[in-house]
Amino acid sequence: MSGTESDGATPEPARAAVRDRLDRVTDPELDRSIVELDYVDGIEIDGGRVGVDLTLPTAWCSPAFAWMMAVDARDEVESLSAVDEVRITLREHMHETEINRGVNEGLSFAESFPDADGDVAAVRAELDEKARVARQYDAVEALLEAGLDADSIVDLRLRDVDGLEPTEAGDEEVVGESGDSDETVAVYVRDRSFAVSVPADPLERYLEKARETDLVSDPDDVLFRTPEGEPIEADSFDLVHQRGRLAQVNMSSQGGICDGLREAREGRLEDPADD
Amino acid sequence: MYQHNGEEIFVIDGHVHLWDATEENIKHEGGEEFIQCFYDYHTTFTPDDRQWSIDEYREYGADRMVEDLFGNAAADMAIFQPTYLTDFYEDGFNTTEQNAELATEYPERFVLNGTFDPRDGEEGLEYLEELHETYDVPGVKLYTAEWRGESKGWRLDDEEAFEFLEKCSELGIENIHAHKGPTIRPLNRDAFDVADIDDAASSFPELNFVVEHVGLPRLDDFCWIATQESNVYGGLAVAAPFAQNRPGKFSEILSELLWWLGEDRVVFGSDYAIWNPDWLVEEVIEAELTQEHRAEYGVEWDLETKRKVMGENIADLYDIDIEEKRRAFRNDEISREFGLGDHYASEEPAAADD
Repeated sequence: MSGTESDGATPEPARAAVRDRLDRVTDPELDRSIVELDYVDGIEIDGGRVGVDLTLPTAWCSPAFAWMMAVDARDEVESLSAVDEVRITLREHMHETEINRGVNEGLSFAESFPDADGDVAAVRAELDEKARVARQYDAVEALLEAGLDADSIVDLRLRDVDGLEPTEAGDEEVVGESGDSDETVAVYVRDRSFAVSVPADPLERYLEKARETDLVSDPDDVLFRTPEGEPIEADSFDLVHQRGRLAQVNMSSQGGICDGLREAREGRLEDPADD
Repeated sequence: MYQHNGEEIFVIDGHVHLWDATEENIKHEGGEEFIQCFYDYHTTFTPDDRQWSIDEYREYGADRMVEDLFGNAAADMAIFQPTYLTDFYEDGFNTTEQNAELATEYPERFVLNGTFDPRDGEEGLEYLEELHETYDVPGVKLYTAEWRGESKGWRLDDEEAFEFLEKCSELGIENIHAHKGPTIRPLNRDAFDVADIDDAASSFPELNFVVEHVGLPRLDDFCWIATQESNVYGGLAVAAPFAQNRPGKFSEILSELLWWLGEDRVVFGSDYAIWNPDWLVEEVIEAELTQEHRAEYGVEWDLETKRKVMGENIADLYDIDIEEKRRAFRNDEISREFGLGDHYASEEPAAADD
């Protein structure tokens, strides 16, 4: 870790550490990092106080999604030990006033939006589920490439994957280290009669969401599921895999729209004389 | 008719509007945000040299619409899909009554659809009957995520909605177009949710459900429902302009749709005036699936498929006889105005020749 985080009198979080934390926050609809998506406009550090500015692709971005990103950004940055206080500022959003107030005062979504019918937990769970299905596609692709067949893949259980440690939230040591593309894990098949070596990254990403959605936690749990969360019958393997592909196409298409809208709006806001 | 490698393709634009977003018509800040957001969609997916100014975009009027749709024979017919938004706009954004101005002037070229909102109760049922009596609408465009007063939207599988679908069935209004795409103030609700189509479609097998914008933020849910319900269709509006600036993504989306729904249940729409058919039709027809996608999905974007998606599929839904239209368009008012008679002169049948 860098020198700015030494145990001085007024420790200040390193910008890179804040950025790494924000990198863990995803746009829940696209399952991509808000840093990669360029939603983070600015990070201001003043002693233990951190300010984060966010702008989304359109003022019409679902308030529920905007809320989730703002809350997640706050929680991630707050988890750094050198941070005392976080201030999130969402800009150019039709509900920025409600969201900024709610997130910075620690209110719930329902308290921030008295007009809404309730909280955002159900929407978040649904989007997590979609992200899990899309990530499963990549993990299964990796296994297919390693030579496993459908019968073996649908039988896999969590204990058959060796060398994947769950990443603890709040663990500062693993910042940015998990995506190394040459890491591999061993996957045991046919009652552990043999193992194949598979790239770790797609399996790790899949398991992260499978844990978040409470589908895979016990060593005996079946590793892969249908979008509905059920174990996969071998004869529907192809169809389930195709649904994972579809979930990815859905996310990347929506991402294409968001990218385009962001560029269009930036152009409009920066150059109002164009109208 | 669009000429593609010497072959003719009869194009029915399944999704057009004649809207009024002038400042005088805007009564709520949401109305201004709405048109600005539409304009961002417009500029994002329109080639630079074909973009409109925001002032043109607010109110383009009937004459320009006719020219943009039919002037160079990009489209042969168009279907009006109203968007009322009466909480945002004094006279509404794009109502059946506003659209009727053109639809009644060129009845051969336009199809006029109505709408309903189950929250209007008895009055709403009466309005639906009135639309049926006045305009004989063959379809309705629905906005399930529209806020109204205390209500944050409605679902097609609500008991109240079923009453309206029953009424549609009784009146012979067969085509139910549900907007499942970019939406208005969803707050905590997942307003893009397409799950309500499922129950409605299986409860009303005599009706056709066209999911507009192929539920794009929920393409996965939409395709899964559509594979199980044979009366569910995908409207390409919003997906179509990907052909222009994201051809690889368009190839992927179209491949998915052809794989899950097949070539008989995908229908073209420009969403005019968000995008103009005068360039969009060409982009979509001339689009190519990548080798990779053709191999992966085993689908083709060939002449027969193009004819179905660009016109024949929706012609079936609306009982449009394409051959009869071709004959009528040799000398209708629009063909005379734009000198298009020759386009329809050929005796060769439009379909079944490949």
